[in-house]
Amino acid sequence: MLHRRIYQFVIVYLIGMTFLFLIKYVLNLSDYVIPSPGEIWHTTCHVFARYLFDVMDTLSVAIIGHILSICLATIVGIIGRLTTWVGSFIKVAAYNIQAYPIVAVAPIIFILLGDGLSSRLLIAAMICYFPLLLSFIGILSEPVGHIEHFYEVTKRMSWHLQVKIRAFENMNKLTTVIVGSATLAIVGTIVAEFIAASAGIGYSIRIALYQSDLAKILVALFLIGICTSLYLTCLEWLGYLTRKRWEV
Amino acid sequence: MHRLEKFQIFLAKILVRQKIPRLCLIAASILAAFFSGGCGKKADKGLEHLTYRLKWLFNISVVGDLYTDVHGIFAEQGLRVTIKEGGPERDAIKELELDHAQFGVASADQVIRAVSKGSPVVVIAQLFQANPLQWIYRPQKICIEAPEDLKGKTIGITYGGNDETIMRALLSKYKIMNNEVRFFSVRYDYTLFYEGEVDLWPIYQNAEGVVIAEKLRKAGEEVSFFNPDAFGIRFVSNSVITTQRMLKERPGTIQKFISALLQGWREALDPGNKEKSVATIHQFDRDTPIKIIRQQLEATRMLMKPSPEIQIGRIDVEAWKQTERIMLEQKLISGPVSVERILRPYIKSRSNFIMLPNPE
Repeated sequence: MLHRRIYQFVIVYLIGMTFLFLIKYVLNLSDYVIPSPGEIWHTTCHVFARYLFDVMDTLSVAIIGHILSICLATIVGIIGRLTTWVGSFIKVAAYNIQAYPIVAVAPIIFILLGDGLSSRLLIAAMICYFPLLLSFIGILSEPVGHIEHFYEVTKRMSWHLQVKIRAFENMNKLTTVIVGSATLAIVGTIVAEFIAASAGIGYSIRIALYQSDLAKILVALFLIGICTSLYLTCLEWLGYLTRKRWEV
Repeated sequence: MHRLEKFQIFLAKILVRQKIPRLCLIAASILAAFFSGGCGKKADKGLEHLTYRLKWLFNISVVGDLYTDVHGIFAEQGLRVTIKEGGPERDAIKELELDHAQFGVASADQVIRAVSKGSPVVVIAQLFQANPLQWIYRPQKICIEAPEDLKGKTIGITYGGNDETIMRALLSKYKIMNNEVRFFSVRYDYTLFYEGEVDLWPIYQNAEGVVIAEKLRKAGEEVSFFNPDAFGIRFVSNSVITTQRMLKERPGTIQKFISALLQGWREALDPGNKEKSVATIHQFDRDTPIKIIRQQLEATRMLMKPSPEIQIGRIDVEAWKQTERIMLEQKLISGPVSVERILRPYIKSRSNFIMLPNPE
């Protein structure tokens, strides 16, 4: 699973690079606009270790933010599944808050929380939380009639049993949503770092942009892609293990 | 008769002759109008179309550029110039290479970086004669009379930005070690400066500098500006650029453009045209009060024309060479680029602008 994801990413990356070089040589553009392969190699040798560390930093924040948002979405999803006023209020709030672009909200967060870990974590969690929440509410509020009916008739139904049944029956959907939101967590962290943080790969990309150094950005994109692939594979593997365990 | 009207009559004749319903005629006219785009503007007839990409958003730092356009000085030279705002994600040099623009504004560090990577860019005028990038501070809290006074202070810098380069060059020149000051990574909001956590904050003195000084004055606080230029760090800021291809293939266009642009700047900074210039900026920058724009205009004049004998647009070759040296010392470029070879200064002769020989 891992090697397939990695080589698929490498193929996509190489296609992108080929396209860039094609533009460079057809339009006769200088290395300032699109760096040459030699310059990219030279830059890779120069910044690889530093950028790898930065990507790991970003990934660690993204993972923590992702876990936080999964926990939060589960709790709110359990409350929101109820067909009460609170449930519908949570849904409306989630839809509305999701509509705000994070770049507009981020400066407020940075003013309040500073440019440290907490801001990056919050923005990462915010970006992946709302899509997660909407899916969780949808999944957890959908009754599994043929199973739930038995427990209801025998009066053995409790809220946690109901949640378990619905989660088990929709495990594939839940895994897909969690894996999908992982990329959002990474994007969120990078955006947060780009806007105002002073660490992580987003911050390094911002510096490279100030210096108009596309070679550095291409190296950063490669590392982000590899690390994202690794994380997504881990999540898929965890989903697979959970399914197997529950089936037993 | 205009081209569009001719085309519509031509279409009508064909359609009537072939007895195609009137509905088709209407549809064809709409399509013709849609595809003909800007052809309908009579004022543009015979004008040469150009695109000019600025370095930053529309504010006081581009007063001359906007004045030239709004008051028809480009049109007098037979040019129709589309002025495009810049911004952090815009790069005029890249747009010139991709032919999305014919002229642009870039700072010297951008130009030198581009030249070091083989970009065919040339500089035809230098806008700011003194760099507007300075550091704002509170004189009631700290006293900065010489660079040595920076020791022990918290200095805001944008990592990767040219303020970092300037500050490091200054510290290096005055043998101040990096561990003798505290650097603080700055962002777009000034909260930490307002709160007094950062002693010196990088700022464009003629633009945000005036706004922040006014805010602090209202709060009963005085401000001063620390100017590295005054201590021998001559790091060139905004300059007008074009490409070598333009220089070779359309020298007449460059002459007309630079002639109009520098005339526009001269008029915009002429104290007699103060209110016209203020109104021009206010037309594009509605958020800044007129009172502030007046102050900003004064500050901009001092940076564009620090003394009467300096011509607007003069290229300060020595300052460019120093900028290159600073970038070399800080390893921001891999080797010397002999920046003087891409400087193409224009001077005003009796009736027109002529290009001076390359200073090299």
